[in-house]
Amino acid sequence: MSATLTSGASTIPGPGRDHALGARLARRRRMADRLVVVLCIGATAIGLLLLASILFTLLVRGLGGLSLGVLYKNTAPAGSNGGLANAIVGSLLQTVVGTAIGTPIGLMVGTYLAEYSRGSALGNAVRFVSDVLLSAPSILIGLFIYTLLVLPVGGYSGIAGCIALAVIVIPIVVRTTEDMLRLVPVSLREAAIALGAPKWKSIVLVCYPAARDGIVTGLLLAIARIAGETAPLLFTSLGNLNATVDFKHPATIITAFGQAMSSLPVTIYQYAGSAYQDLVDLSWVAALLITFGVLALNIVARVALRRRS
Amino acid sequence: MADLQPEHIVRSYAQELAALRDRMTQMGGLVEAQVAAAAAAVVQQDSDAATRAVEQDPAVDALEREVEGQVIRMLALRQPMAQDLRQIVASLKITAGLERIGDYAANVAKRSIVLAQFSLPFSLSGIAHMLRLVQENLKLVVDAIGENDVEKATQVWRSDQAVDDIYNAIFRELVTYMMEDPRNITPCTHLLFIAKNLERIGDHATNIAETVYYAVTGDSLPEARPKGDSSAYAVVRARG
Amino acid sequence: MDMSMTENATAGSRSNAPATAATTEAPRIAISGLDFYYGTNKALKSVSVEFPDRKVTGMIGPSGCGKSTLLRVLNRMYDLYPGQRAEGKVMMDGDNIIDPGMDLNVLRSRVGMVFQKPTPFPMSIYDNIAFGVKLHERLSKAQMNERVEWSLTRAALWPEVKDRLSASAAGLSGGQQQRLCIARTIATRPEVILLDEPTSALDPISTLRVEELIDELKRDFTIVIVTHNMQQAARCADQVAFFYLGELVEVAPAAQMFTAPKQKRTQEYITGRFG
Repeated sequence: MSATLTSGASTIPGPGRDHALGARLARRRRMADRLVVVLCIGATAIGLLLLASILFTLLVRGLGGLSLGVLYKNTAPAGSNGGLANAIVGSLLQTVVGTAIGTPIGLMVGTYLAEYSRGSALGNAVRFVSDVLLSAPSILIGLFIYTLLVLPVGGYSGIAGCIALAVIVIPIVVRTTEDMLRLVPVSLREAAIALGAPKWKSIVLVCYPAARDGIVTGLLLAIARIAGETAPLLFTSLGNLNATVDFKHPATIITAFGQAMSSLPVTIYQYAGSAYQDLVDLSWVAALLITFGVLALNIVARVALRRRS
Repeated sequence: MADLQPEHIVRSYAQELAALRDRMTQMGGLVEAQVAAAAAAVVQQDSDAATRAVEQDPAVDALEREVEGQVIRMLALRQPMAQDLRQIVASLKITAGLERIGDYAANVAKRSIVLAQFSLPFSLSGIAHMLRLVQENLKLVVDAIGENDVEKATQVWRSDQAVDDIYNAIFRELVTYMMEDPRNITPCTHLLFIAKNLERIGDHATNIAETVYYAVTGDSLPEARPKGDSSAYAVVRARG
Repeated sequence: MDMSMTENATAGSRSNAPATAATTEAPRIAISGLDFYYGTNKALKSVSVEFPDRKVTGMIGPSGCGKSTLLRVLNRMYDLYPGQRAEGKVMMDGDNIIDPGMDLNVLRSRVGMVFQKPTPFPMSIYDNIAFGVKLHERLSKAQMNERVEWSLTRAALWPEVKDRLSASAAGLSGGQQQRLCIARTIATRPEVILLDEPTSALDPISTLRVEELIDELKRDFTIVIVTHNMQQAARCADQVAFFYLGELVEVAPAAQMFTAPKQKRTQEYITGRFG
């Protein structure tokens, strides 16, 4: 039997143990270890430094121009002491509506891919297309909606901008929903089904809550992304120097979507290159608002999630 | 039979099981030697042999305690199952039986020393025959222990009948001698006890055979063992 | 089924015919000639076995022997995966469980299952229990409260969680989570409970608690437990079935199985001499 192989005291092949060599090797390993740590910290420092300098510049340049007037006055020609109110409202509206359109579609597609399409050709095709869309330049999406919704109608509109943003949201939500649902253990699904739950109930009542944190994180990423998108809006909602929403008449909130709509990124794009210093200052304020708006949204959402679970 | 089984996956467990069986065969060998010495003491009136038989007792007892300790340790640490479990529990019963056999052999040897002081007007051929039979059975059963041999165990279990038959014959014979001449009463009483002890040795050998059979097969030998000690009912009437 | 076969098995016959060993009562589930396929790979080969009512049947065997597969036939879990199919008879109350016409949601409410790893749903302790009940019954709030308390009590968890029913189930210890899963299963009042290595992820004390629970539950439920731990099968089961390479090698009362199994392969497996 195999007893002969291992019976008795076994001798380890190779030369005897050299403790000096061992110590030398250990020293070299320690040095390599230290080097890698230093490199990692250095890389992190560079990244943090860049980020900090961006935030710092934003704060320095933006805070100066930030005033209450910026928040309630509309954009106006140079020298007339205008604000950003219509751009803020336009950005909010387009982001909210774009997310509202894109999220359910993305969620359902992601659910289909994770739960129903396993291995099917259709599922693989959908996943491929979605991934392509995820990495498509956003200006292409703007052009696509331009030919689809702007040219036939004959005018730029807020709703076209919303849809362009929704098209950006969809693949992000699809990806994160699918990934997060796949991370839900099979045993959890089986446990729900073993209790006699139909598949849809096990997905909605068990898998979604289990994947909630990841899906919400993906959604936040999507919102952050579209809040700052400029290119797709240039071809769709274009930007509008006039206010199209009058909060004294709520109906205008709806009708505004039929016209060209202002937004912070487009305003930044238009003002940043301006020859007039007051407009350049306003674009810094706009950049500050977007950045800290997204940051605040992230923090609030994370705190809320942590409190619930 | 068990040796046809594949090796145990845990080698140290297999080694412990083997060691347990080694202890039992070792103990069996000692007891065999003890009975052989007792036989020589009775038949050849060899007092040295008698002393040897008596002096071996502590060694047998020590082996029994050793096996007991090992069994308890294995039950606690190995959680034996099925044949292993039967084997381990059986070794407790087997060593207890062997230990009893050793005690009887020592007792026989002691009585042989007393017996040697009498000149007997009759031959000991009956006792000698019984001794031979009992020794054969003992040897068979010790082999059965060592080899887990069901055949040999069954053979022992069957042949106990012959031992019982001889015992009955010797019983009648000795009672007759005592009735013939009261001076025979002392040696004959010792001989009776010797015969009784030999009969008990046979019974223990049979019990061990049954235990071996169960340990190996998992089944019991039938309840109704060929049993033939009718001396309890024997009445010998004085002729005339 | 042939009851004389049952008698023989207990009397120690060397018959190879599989049979129920523990009881002469009518079985809760009777399987005969069951074949199971993963695609073209045959995982169960003509298995015939009975699960006696209100008894614990333990299924043992090396990994991949088919014991878990058999368990997943009993509540049609395999239906979730295309390419898996079963043929044969798995009779419960006159119905063939593997009949395509079987209402799976109803079947699964009658044959509950507890998994290897605790699977608490990401919701409160109370909702974990209510989840399964709501699928099959319409209960008032008061009735539901009663049901939750009943099942948690039966699962020996009530004293530990009664003050935090609305807390997340994820906050329970592993052993508590597993008992919660058992509570969740019995809350739907099944007839049969399937346990798939229910304690392999638990510490020894939690394991003993679950085993005690199994002992307690068999008064009301028929229990089938798959386990890799032979001592556990010995402790919990009334009847033990040994599977090897998709075949049922031997079924016997636990006491006989672990002291004197009839089949050589069983003997080799349970004494640790396999292969």
